[in-house]
Amino acid sequence: MIECRNLSKSYGTLEAVSDFNLSLEEHEFLSILGPSGCGKSTLLRLIAGLEVPSQGRVFLQQREISAEKIILPPERRNFGMIFQDFALFPHLSVASNIAYGVTGTRSEKQKRVRELLELVSLPHLAAKMPHQISGGEQQRIAVARALAPWPRLILMDEPFSNLDYQLRLQLRSDIHDILKHEGVATILVTHDQVEAITFSDRVLLMHNGKLVQDGTPTEIYQQPQTLWASSFVGEANHLTVEWQDKALKTPFGRLNVPAEIGKQTRILMVRPEDFRLESATSEETNATVKTVDFSGSVQIIRVELTGGVMIQVSCSPHSVHLAQDSVKISAERFLCFNNSGHSLEGFSTK
Amino acid sequence: MKPSFLSFGSWNLFTFLLALLFALPFLSLLLTAASGAENIWGHLLQTVMPGYLKNTLWLMLGVGSGTLLLGVSAGWLISMSEFPGRKILEWALLLPLAFPGYIIAMVYVELLEYSGPLQTQLRQWFGWLNYQDYWFPQITSLGGAVLMLSLVLYPYVYLLTRTAFLQQSATLLEASRMLGKSAGYSFLQIALPLARPAIVVGVSLAMMETLADFGTMQLFAVQTFTTGIYHTWFGSYNAPGAAQLSLSLLMFISVFIMLERYSRKKQRFHAQSSVQTAHPRYRLAGIKAFFALIFCLFPVIFGFALPAALLIQWAIESWRGVMLERFFSDAGNSLLLAAITAFLGVSLGLLMAFGSRLSKHRRVHWAVRLVSLGYALPGPVVALGVLLPFAWFDRTINNWAEATFGFSSGYLLSGTIFILVFAYLVRFLALAYGSAESGLGRITTAMEDASRSLGKNSWQTLKRIHLPLLSSSMLTAGLLVFVDVMKELPATLMLQPFNFSTLATRAYGYATEELLKEASLWCLTIVLVGLFPVILLNRQLRKSAPQNYQDI
Repeated sequence: MIECRNLSKSYGTLEAVSDFNLSLEEHEFLSILGPSGCGKSTLLRLIAGLEVPSQGRVFLQQREISAEKIILPPERRNFGMIFQDFALFPHLSVASNIAYGVTGTRSEKQKRVRELLELVSLPHLAAKMPHQISGGEQQRIAVARALAPWPRLILMDEPFSNLDYQLRLQLRSDIHDILKHEGVATILVTHDQVEAITFSDRVLLMHNGKLVQDGTPTEIYQQPQTLWASSFVGEANHLTVEWQDKALKTPFGRLNVPAEIGKQTRILMVRPEDFRLESATSEETNATVKTVDFSGSVQIIRVELTGGVMIQVSCSPHSVHLAQDSVKISAERFLCFNNSGHSLEGFSTK
Repeated sequence: MKPSFLSFGSWNLFTFLLALLFALPFLSLLLTAASGAENIWGHLLQTVMPGYLKNTLWLMLGVGSGTLLLGVSAGWLISMSEFPGRKILEWALLLPLAFPGYIIAMVYVELLEYSGPLQTQLRQWFGWLNYQDYWFPQITSLGGAVLMLSLVLYPYVYLLTRTAFLQQSATLLEASRMLGKSAGYSFLQIALPLARPAIVVGVSLAMMETLADFGTMQLFAVQTFTTGIYHTWFGSYNAPGAAQLSLSLLMFISVFIMLERYSRKKQRFHAQSSVQTAHPRYRLAGIKAFFALIFCLFPVIFGFALPAALLIQWAIESWRGVMLERFFSDAGNSLLLAAITAFLGVSLGLLMAFGSRLSKHRRVHWAVRLVSLGYALPGPVVALGVLLPFAWFDRTINNWAEATFGFSSGYLLSGTIFILVFAYLVRFLALAYGSAESGLGRITTAMEDASRSLGKNSWQTLKRIHLPLLSSSMLTAGLLVFVDVMKELPATLMLQPFNFSTLATRAYGYATEELLKEASLWCLTIVLVGLFPVILLNRQLRKSAPQNYQDI
């Protein structure tokens, strides 16, 4: 339903969004994930019609809505937007905030307000003023307000970043369910990888104004296309490797990969959970345990490989290794990257 | 109990006594008003009251709409739009604040009266012989007073409106547009209601100044409560009558004090956004930009540039005849009074702020609040309120001295500059106290605790934490008090010792003798001094304004 073609936005010499392509289907949940300052909020505002593109176009159901100027002003796009600071109108009651965008008779408005307050499970707050309710409640009201005029698309700009951790988890799943229930297409902008992965059907990874990768959360995590992507989403160990005697020489031993890939490989990326750590006889050991951090469901173990390279391994909490233990390290799954940091192919040793 | 600099029983006592001392004028007015031998209330109601009421209401209506129109429109144009000259106008619009009402009134009387340059010129051009040949608006009228006060008081409204618009989070307007509302509707439904408390505060301040104005009304012969108090006192030494008029005026003022406080409270709820993105400005072009420029230039030209230029011209013209000795003696008196009051005001304000911060007694806070009302008191009211008890004191001492020693002690307090300084403090201590309080507010108890835990004792903490952090707000407070004393007219006029005059009272004296040009050097000096707080205000504005920053 939404399509961005070659979208760019510059502020002076700074190119916030650069040659960006995006398309969104009906009912789809899309996340735009990137570090702060990567241009993702600007992209969202370009889609909303709050910013004028420097180049490129935005289409809504094949109809051009933004080009070098705003063709369809934001108030006529019928997109709902949820802001980072919620942007509830401080001088209007909760009910009036929700009713603000609704058109129709008084009783129609009242009915819609009631429906939405039910939907976000806060019917008792109708008469309250925004400053009288908690941050989490403000967030739900902001969602209700955005949904009230039956928008065709919901745009969310870091909607959970002003909330504390526990509340964020709870609200994220609540709001996800509410939006799915309403069946409205959604674009979420966030710098929080967990949020992007758990919230959406598809993730666009953005860096320095450019699209890095477009894929499902699993693809983004398991097949990062650049080294930067591999460490931005999840934890990653990057190891320098060399092609030698028809195998990859790594700090933890030799790996067999097809020659045409192995010859180009410069960096090996291994997720902490893809390392296997086991006790072994003294000739087989290739690493020493340095520190063990127990954190509930996992243990993070830092290991020094022969040659002095440090890696991070996550193990089950039942693992029994101690600092200074000599161990054997092997990789169950890894990805090869060339010298420009692009992914070649991933391998699983099993 | 927190570790403290002194023992705090004495702090409480000090703060409380100080506040009580400043409550003296209120109490003396109340007592005097009640002591009227005959039933003066009825008399007042029949004679002068209806006229005062009518004039006061018209003034409020006129100045209220004038400041609202100029202040809100300029505030909106400057904060929400972009047009050529906007950056300069942003601070230039504050310049009229430097003109006390009575000085701008003097300038326009001189310019616009029958024998003034404008009418003379018009007569020459059109061949009119005398005032029967043409119609020219009378500047010394109620309408003229409204115009004068609107021109110098609109900056209050402008300043607060502008800040209110700038502090609104841009996302609120965007949220409104995303909910399907046009830019115009969003402004009316969101931006304007959010700025309303600030606008009300600004208009309330302008109203209090209007009600307190003496010089303009006196020059324009508009009878209001302030001029009434002055005449009732000096004309017939009718203390109960003057006191009753004062109390009537205070009732009017209290309405605006309450309105102001209520709106300030409301403002706090409205400023709760954590993300501050500057508004994208509407770019005005062509005829729209031209009209915006003209509109904002109008109050700057007529409220500052023109009168300032005229004063400079007249000062140069009358340079030969000017009595420099007289000028320097007046300037010396003004400086002396302003410096003493500023020093005392800042010291007392600081002590009061410390005292009320450390004290847990409700009574002390109440007393401090009483002092902070002083700023809303019109000069003639303060003068009367201070004069009555001091004169009573002097009379009592004098009678006692004559009876006991057979000589007259004269006016010990009421005939010296002591009473002037006291009256100034009653009026302006609130300014110093306000600055001290907000300065202290920035120093959290955690900072004090941190300093103590790093091994500094309480005096070292005071020297190395409090004083450096407070110094800038104390300087500001001192400057504000200093300038206000320099500009003050009615209380000085009523209380100045025999053969003593200040820049303000001499300028006013010249004006009443229709020697306005001779007064221009005096006026110019007052306006120049008045520019300092405007510059200060500008610097603060610049610091507090959100950056034109885009989150990307």
